[in-house]
Formats: sequence, C-alpha cells, structure tokens
Amino acid sequence: MNTPASMANPIHRTRLAMWRRQHAWCLRDSLRQLARRPLGSALTIAVMGLALALPLAFLLLLVNVQHLATALGNSQSVNVFLKTDVTADGAAKLADSLRARADVAAVTLRTPQQGLAELAAIQGFGAAVQSLPDNPLPFALLVEPGTGTSRVQVESLVAAVRALPQVDLVQDNGAWRARLDALVGLGRTVAVILAVLLAAAAVLVIGNTVRLDIRSRANEIAVQQLVGASAAFVRRPYLYEGAWYGLAAGVVAVLLVLLLEAVLAAPVRDLVTSYAGRLHFGGLSWVTLVIALAIAVALGWLGAWIASSRQLARLRP
Amino acid sequence: MIRFDSVSKRYPEGREALIDVSFNVEAGEMLFVTGHSGAGKTTLLRLIALIERPSRGTIKVHGRDLARVRHRGIPGLRRDIGMVFQDHRLLLDRSVADNVALPLVIAGMPREERDKRVRSALEKVGLAGRGKDAPAALSTGEQQRVGIARAIVARPALIIADEPTGNLDPQLSEEIMQLFVSLRQTGSTVLIASHDLALLKRMKQRVVVLDHGHLIDDVPASEVA
Repeated sequence: MNTPASMANPIHRTRLAMWRRQHAWCLRDSLRQLARRPLGSALTIAVMGLALALPLAFLLLLVNVQHLATALGNSQSVNVFLKTDVTADGAAKLADSLRARADVAAVTLRTPQQGLAELAAIQGFGAAVQSLPDNPLPFALLVEPGTGTSRVQVESLVAAVRALPQVDLVQDNGAWRARLDALVGLGRTVAVILAVLLAAAAVLVIGNTVRLDIRSRANEIAVQQLVGASAAFVRRPYLYEGAWYGLAAGVVAVLLVLLLEAVLAAPVRDLVTSYAGRLHFGGLSWVTLVIALAIAVALGWLGAWIASSRQLARLRP
Repeated sequence: MIRFDSVSKRYPEGREALIDVSFNVEAGEMLFVTGHSGAGKTTLLRLIALIERPSRGTIKVHGRDLARVRHRGIPGLRRDIGMVFQDHRLLLDRSVADNVALPLVIAGMPREERDKRVRSALEKVGLAGRGKDAPAALSTGEQQRVGIARAIVARPALIIADEPTGNLDPQLSEEIMQLFVSLRQTGSTVLIASHDLALLKRMKQRVVVLDHGHLIDDVPASEVA
C-alpha cells in the first residue's frame, strides 16, 4: 500500500502521534470530569434526553400516520351508494352511463350481497350481520376517476353524480385522503419546529453546564495556560464533555422511544386486527435512530463549543 | 538568554509597575530580583512569560523579540519556560505525578517517556515515591517541591520563580533555594523574584534590585554580602 507523502514524513508522523496522545488525554479527562459529579451529569443527560425524545416520539406518530395513509391507498375513488329501490338493472344502466364519461376510468358495481359479505368479514360485525332479518344494503358503485384527473375535476364529477336521482349518498375518498395528507404535512411542519426548538433547548442546557464547569475549573485552566497549553488543548476536554453529554442524552432518547414503541405495540396490534390487517404499527428504523444519536452528539458538541468560546476567551492566567 | 531594553509597563488603571528597566541575563546564570512589595518583581516575570506585554521597550528571550510573538505563539514560548509560583498552583484533584506530568501531556509526550521524566523530576526534588499522593497530603514545602518538579520536568532552558519561598520557614526556604542552585548547575538559567534579603545574602548570587518600578541596583554575585 502506498503511504501518502505527508504521512511518510517522520515529522508529520510525530506530530500526528502527539496530536493523538493529546486527544486521548483530553478524552479521558472529560470522562473523569463527568464521573466526578454523577448526579449533576445524570440530571443534564436526563433533561437533554427528554428534550430529544419528544421530537422522536412525534416522528414515530407521523411515521404511523403515513403508514395509515399508505394503507388507505392513493386512489381518488368515489363510492356511490344508490337508493334502496334501485334495481340491479337500473344500477347496471347507471354504471354504463358513468363509464361513458370522459373523466371516469372505471366503474365497479357491487351488489348488496357482496357488500354484506364484506361487512361480515370485518371482525366484530359477523354476528350483527347474521342477526339481520334481510339485507339492508343498496347497490353501490365504485367510480375510479381517469388517470391525471385533477382534484377540481373529481369534485365536479362528485357533484354531477350526487345530482343523479338514483343516488342516495356519495363518499369522496379523495377528499378524505387530501385532508389526511394536509394533516400529515401540518404534523411534519410541527415536528420540524418542535425539533428545532428542543434542539436549541438541548444546546442551551449543555452550554450552561459546560459554562459552569469552566468557571469552576478556572484555576486548572490558568495553570494549563501557564505551562504552555494552547487554546485548542484547553478547550478540547469541554468539547468532548459536550459530545459525551449529547451521546448519553441521545441514548436516553432512543431508549425512551423504543420503550414507547414497546408499550404501544400491544394495543395497536389489537386495533390492527380489528381493521382486518389493513394497518400496521411500525417503529423508527435503526438508520433514523443512528441519525438521532449523531444529531444528539453534534448538539452537545455545539453547546460546548459556544460556551467554551465565550468563557475561555475571558480567562487569563 | 534574557535582555530587557528600556522596558516600561503601565497597567490600564494607570499604575507604573516598571519604568525604563534594562538588564541582561546570560545563559546558565542565576539571578535574583528583589525589592519591596509592589516594586515590580512579579510584573517583570509576567512580562517574560508573556502574561503581560510591555508598554514600552524591548524584551528578548533566547534572542527572540517578545513583541513579535503573536497570541498563537505564546503557548510555545511558555513551554520553553519552567514557572514556579508562590502559591504552588497545583491541581488538588489530581495526584502529584499528574501535576508534574502536565507540561509533558500538553507536549503530547508518549506515556512511557512521560512516566520516566516524572519519576526523575520527583527524585530531583526529593519526592521519589510520592507520585501517587494527593497534593493535599503533602506539607507546604513538599507542595512547593512538586511545583518545582512540574517546572523542570520538560527540561526548559529557563526557569522563573515568583516568591517560591514566600510561604516557607527559613530552613525550608534554604532547601528550596539550594534546589534552584542545583538546577542552575545542570545548565538552566534561573530567575527568582524574592523579597527575602537575608536569604539572598546567603545564596551569594547576582541580585537585581527594584524600587517603585525602577531598577536601582544590579549587584554581581561576587559583591553580595
């Protein structure tokens, strides 16, 4: 393997080794400082962990609402329930007349028997359906608007169908889906705002902790400066300290969300079964959790960087 | 080694700590700076360590004009100077060995070499085997020895000490000063600020006398009595 020119130079190798040893010392020193005040460190980690868990929990909710939306499909289909006095022949003729429209791609006719069978298949409805003296369901038409039909055109189709004399009720699934999409979009915006605010809070919590730590160690910093420590060397343990806080808080947040998933799994499973398995409860992916941990570390480091920049500039030996 | 040319230092509040001070210190020389409290001894040492900058005049250390040393270059300059303080300035939550090792840690020295140098420095100041002790477990004199060990562990060519015997009884003061004499004999240049005239007379080294910021006397070692 070829060695880069800069690495082949013994001076650079020595400098790299020195740099590595300085970092190793600062890393150990930062851990030692955290261990020196276990209660204070634990409280800081807990506060930051909770702050990070909230947007993660909100993200979990959003992911599952999106699962729900996916389960409902992207179709803009329109359910048309005919009046009970419309016969099979009348329903078939109406279906044909709708198929002839340019804005309709397909029309499926559902008989009252098919409707009743579908209802009986849904858990909890079987016994109720059995107890009915006769079938109360009307003929229904499932109207699929043409591909590329705009929302306005679908609404115009719905209005036209609703005006037909054979029609009792029109259910526009696209409108419901549009509302759900709008809600998910709103939720996503709220989640981003919440995440930004709580991230800022986490940065402030870490910043304040590091600020207090620097103030309490002013004598040590002065000694380090007097014996020749560079500004970077003095600052490094505090940056590591912030990163450790961030990592620990990230782990707390991830564990809290995993706990939330575990607690919600059983009730959601029951709910899913009642919807004949069309829905499912999904947790956050491990990639999302790893990214959350990395963001937590970066926030901790950032808080420490801001605090140490301000505080160390004020300290003189 | 050290050259002061017409150096003055005026603090922002208006106090003149040093006024037109000039003197030289040769490499390997031992020099005492004395004077009453407020004479400017500490300011003189702080200027050498670049803790303060002069208001006027030129200071050269190792032939290097300190006015040309930028802020980023100060740590490197301080690593070439061993500093000893009246109040020891030890880190009380760390062991004696950790305190002594600090300049070597900052220099990024390998652990084995570091441990060897720390043991050697502690032996030189008579504290062999006390590396694991906490500074609080040591007497005041021993704490000052730890401070000296920290100052010499990186083998700097220049050692400066500000009232290193200020808190010690006469016998301990003598011992500490003999320690500095032995350091000088190994080739280091030693500059000590002290107001203890009786002690300085016994040490028989060159003495620079300050009074209200003025250098009023520069007594060669041969004339100290």
